[in-house]
Amino acid sequence: MISRRDAIKSLIISVGGTSLLSACGGQVSLGSITPGSTRRFYSEREMALVSRVSDLLIPRTETPGAIDVGVPQFLDQLMTEWANSETQAEHRAGLALLDARLGSEAGGDFLDVSDAVAERALTMVDREAFGGSPVDGYRNLKGLISQAYFATEAGALDELKWVATPGRWEPCVDLT
Amino acid sequence: MKRTEQQAPDFDAIVVGSGMSGGWSAKELAERGLKVLVLERGPEIIPERDYTDRIPPWERPNLDRIPQDEIAEHYPTQYGGVAYAIKETTKHFWVKDDEHPYETAEGTSYDWLRGYHTGGRSIMWSRQAYRLGPQDFEANLQEGVGVDWPVRYNDIAPWYDHVERFAGIAGNTDGLPQLPDGVFQPAFDLTCAEEDFKTRVEAAFPGRNVIAARIAHLTDATPEQRALGRRNCQSRNRCEHGCIFRAYFSSLNATLPAARVTGNLTMVHNAIVRSLDYDEETRRVTGVRVIDAETREGRTYTARVVFLNASTIASAMILLQSASEAFPNGLANRSDQVGRNLMDHISGAGASGFITGFDDKTVFGRRPSGGIYIPRYANVTENDKPYRRGFGFQGGASPAAGTNGQTPGIGRAFKEAHRAPGPWRVSIGAFGEQLPDPDNRVTLHPSRRDQWGNPVAVMNVTYGENERIMLEEARTDAIAMLEAAGCTDIRSGEVNLTKPGNRIHEMGSARMGRDPATSVLNGWCQAHDVDNLFVTDGSFMASAACQNPSLTYMAFSARAANYAADLIADGTL
Repeated sequence: MISRRDAIKSLIISVGGTSLLSACGGQVSLGSITPGSTRRFYSEREMALVSRVSDLLIPRTETPGAIDVGVPQFLDQLMTEWANSETQAEHRAGLALLDARLGSEAGGDFLDVSDAVAERALTMVDREAFGGSPVDGYRNLKGLISQAYFATEAGALDELKWVATPGRWEPCVDLT
Repeated sequence: MKRTEQQAPDFDAIVVGSGMSGGWSAKELAERGLKVLVLERGPEIIPERDYTDRIPPWERPNLDRIPQDEIAEHYPTQYGGVAYAIKETTKHFWVKDDEHPYETAEGTSYDWLRGYHTGGRSIMWSRQAYRLGPQDFEANLQEGVGVDWPVRYNDIAPWYDHVERFAGIAGNTDGLPQLPDGVFQPAFDLTCAEEDFKTRVEAAFPGRNVIAARIAHLTDATPEQRALGRRNCQSRNRCEHGCIFRAYFSSLNATLPAARVTGNLTMVHNAIVRSLDYDEETRRVTGVRVIDAETREGRTYTARVVFLNASTIASAMILLQSASEAFPNGLANRSDQVGRNLMDHISGAGASGFITGFDDKTVFGRRPSGGIYIPRYANVTENDKPYRRGFGFQGGASPAAGTNGQTPGIGRAFKEAHRAPGPWRVSIGAFGEQLPDPDNRVTLHPSRRDQWGNPVAVMNVTYGENERIMLEEARTDAIAMLEAAGCTDIRSGEVNLTKPGNRIHEMGSARMGRDPATSVLNGWCQAHDVDNLFVTDGSFMASAACQNPSLTYMAFSARAANYAADLIADGTL
């Protein structure tokens, strides 16, 4: 297994041709993502930023992480196929502000700093965004990453234990 | 096409519309041995092909979101009204606004939310199924509002039994006079937090009750239901995508298949009604003129009796479009009430909060609808209100975990926090009664036509003081009940009165009454002016009550269809 930082690096390299997913050894779980698909909306830098944030928010644990299941590519597709030009512009502006903000929090280019520094920077931004003062672009991005991840087989089945056909309703079950 | 008197009509009965009420008209008429033609203006829905309930989350494109440009082009009103139900995988159940235009009078607004296809809105309804109570049939007379219902609760009660038994309603026997019990299958039990909420609210407010929602989902399918291919609810909560188990009631899942079994049903899709033919000599409707939605070809079908089940706005429009020398203001409209008294329910008041004490509990399965219902108490058990009539609350309490990323944290802790069910959140929202007002109406646009050459509807509906005051009070009550239940972090936005039509409970446009001079239909949903014409969708409602109305449309449709069959059997029609 390669480190997360290596995975991100390989991702940056992969943009434009090589499959991210083969590079990081993960599996594709979002049905509509094809391995090797190229980005259509994000710039190289935006793709790398979204990837690093995705990886820090939902890392690989005992279950696949956001990178393993192709969340950044999914968001690229979402922005291409779902978003209108206004939403695209807002999303892009939000990423730029977030990029700058994370950079100043990290004391350098957010994409170049170590995992530990990046994690600290994102923790600070997250804390602020949920502490009452808005951080442009962050909560929106976190929302999209989270929704995309938990809609995958890994997110839904492994993490949420989602059951397609429960078959019954039990209104009050003891948590174990 | 002119037919001679001697020619037998094509069918015994024509039912216009295959939705919630039309399915019932068709089933009952067909089971009585009558040859029935159902005209559906939209295309055919084939469950095996068109239901999307089995698509797992990871196969739904773009998080099941419809592209924003497509929403702007085709679904601005539909999506604006029911964004929660219109997804990439359900959009085929909703009309494209640009293909089915309507207008609103200056200074008014209206949400006309529809689906044109087999089964109509019975595919997308919210499945809450309540009887009206005795008070609902008496209020107009007592208050001098609108016209008196020509029917009382006891007249319709056996027909509620009849439709509940066939449709399958999950609910409890609660013993409340204002919300009569019926023929129920086992209820979806309350969650532990809902039980706690119930106990505390009922203790603090002796005149109020918190009950399990009564919903049209099978929990103990009968042999009759199983014979139609229906199975118990699997607690998937995918209902707005259709249900391959046919576990919730819809025309497509239940009444139309039952009608088909008789061998007496003919169904024609893509048949948009232009008008009804009226014969002045016999004073009867003789046929229905339709336009083929795809070929634009015109045809006329004839029958002994015609049932309008096109939905309250469309049925009123068909009558208005059928003006003749005998009826210059629209067919069966000597009273000038066709299109008037258009009502809906009102929402936009409620509260939510957290209930503590259940952190070690969760639920299994996804309850398909409902949760709790707080039946009307205003002007029933509590008589100190500054408004008329009342409202019920729909709601529920369940673990609030979500996957929308709006919780703090990053990394493993954030990821794994989603494994926990989250805090228990309770939420209730009011559905209130709108009073009938003849000035709230739908009319035909004087010149604008749709692509099939039919006049475009013009809605002119505004809410009155009673509705506004009622909702303010509903909000106050909601907060008080959550406080009494010990909820924390109670939230309740300012009252945001829903647009007319937004609750998708439109009704009243051909009201029933005792006097032909002031009402369109008699107590059998039969036109005062035309003996062989029945209207049994929401049009007949003389008042709105505050309960979700579908069950009442079903009961009146079944009753009217059997009455019409009696009249045909004894030679009257």
